[in-house]
Amino acid sequence: MIRAFLVWLQSLGRGSGPDAQSWSEALHGSLNFWNLLEGTHLITLLLFAGTIFAVDLRLLGVTFRKLKVSELSERVLPLTVFGFAMMVVTGLALFFAKPVEYYHNIWFRMKLIFIIGAMINIVVFHYRVQKNIAAWDAAPLPPWPARASAIASLSAWVVVIVFGRFIAYNWFDCGKPLPHFFNVVEECKISEHGAIDLKPAAFKVKP
Amino acid sequence: MKFSILFPQLRGWVGHLANVWPAPFVKPNFAIFEVFHILTLIMLGGASILIGLRLMGSGVTDEKPSDVYKDMRVWLNIGLWGVFFTGILIGMANAERLYDSAAFLAKMLCLVGGIMLVYGATRPVALADGEISTSALVWGGLGTLLWLGAIVVFLTGGLITPGLYHVLTAAALIVAFVTKGRQRWIYAAGLGAVLIAMYVATHVILQPDDLKNADPANVALAWLAGLWIFGFAGWAVWSGSRGATPSGLFVKALGYVTILVWVTAAAGGRWIAFA
Repeated sequence: MIRAFLVWLQSLGRGSGPDAQSWSEALHGSLNFWNLLEGTHLITLLLFAGTIFAVDLRLLGVTFRKLKVSELSERVLPLTVFGFAMMVVTGLALFFAKPVEYYHNIWFRMKLIFIIGAMINIVVFHYRVQKNIAAWDAAPLPPWPARASAIASLSAWVVVIVFGRFIAYNWFDCGKPLPHFFNVVEECKISEHGAIDLKPAAFKVKP
Repeated sequence: MKFSILFPQLRGWVGHLANVWPAPFVKPNFAIFEVFHILTLIMLGGASILIGLRLMGSGVTDEKPSDVYKDMRVWLNIGLWGVFFTGILIGMANAERLYDSAAFLAKMLCLVGGIMLVYGATRPVALADGEISTSALVWGGLGTLLWLGAIVVFLTGGLITPGLYHVLTAAALIVAFVTKGRQRWIYAAGLGAVLIAMYVATHVILQPDDLKNADPANVALAWLAGLWIFGFAGWAVWSGSRGATPSGLFVKALGYVTILVWVTAAAGGRWIAFA
């Protein structure tokens, strides 16, 4: 069902002529616009991840130890939130350019899982960990739940960035001979290129 | 402008770099090194943004510039030298392409300019809480000149020129962040008007595929946007420093350029892949 929706999304706006392009194809094939979106998506990481790391490192008691956590958050998080909004907008536009291809990409799927994980961590921090912030706001080393949340945040965003970059590589693209696991996870069977299982013999090391 | 034009005699040496250790090891593991390059760039970017904004009188204003610098120093250093060393490794594995890339020259100008700005100007000025020395003035000036050189490379680089939109966007957002109240609204209204004019000119009056006419219109309006952004930045810095010592102007401008130099470096890095 999701795939059917993405196939429809990818064909949206296509005219009737033989060379007619859909909006999605026009975006991906544009001279500069796709490049600008992709570049903006990456460069905005400096703002988004760069500032969220500063807050996480404060929660770990590594930086800004003399500053209250709430004060640092108040100053830095507006930048982080703005950066995140830009990441989402450019990310959605990039996804719109090749929705079906991304749907079958293992790195994209794992990236989404870790984004969801990072979001859950933010909700837990906001509604549980931060509840008694007054008690440790000025502490150079916040209590372990805050530190655990910071470690979860740092790890999740680093993994999101790593997987995001790996999307560009075609190591596990459907249609290539892949271990069965990848073909299942990427739903290659229903993809345009199909699923080709790598024979188990290919893994055996010759004595 | 690119390295292959500036130093044509180096082509043989550059062509051989891919065979010199550790390039043969890096090439098959390129993605791993590239990811480290991006992660260290993010550290560098985050630290520069917080230090630069503080010098401009925004961001973490609860602390003195010297404290913000000390808090971010380790991450700034890890970021900068991480970018440098991973850059050398991935650069060796990809040397011929970089040699023929104008975006790479822009990136290198920013790297050298950025190092001058960070260690020669931003560091001493931040540690002295805004007091400037003659050497900081000189290093800041030289770093800014190299950054402007990178902008010129982008402007004259043909296919990479659209990459300047990243720099313009960052420059515009910084001004939006550091201005307040009515000043911010005036700025946003002017910028919005230029952007609407750009759209109307290239999509309503002219058609986007009419490159012969749409391209000059687009370039002219991009110049107008640039003039508005940097003009307003100048005015905001000037009006915000009225009555203050002249060094206030330099310190704020330094904060602005310290952020923009790394954004330009990142834009150069990304546009190596595009053009």
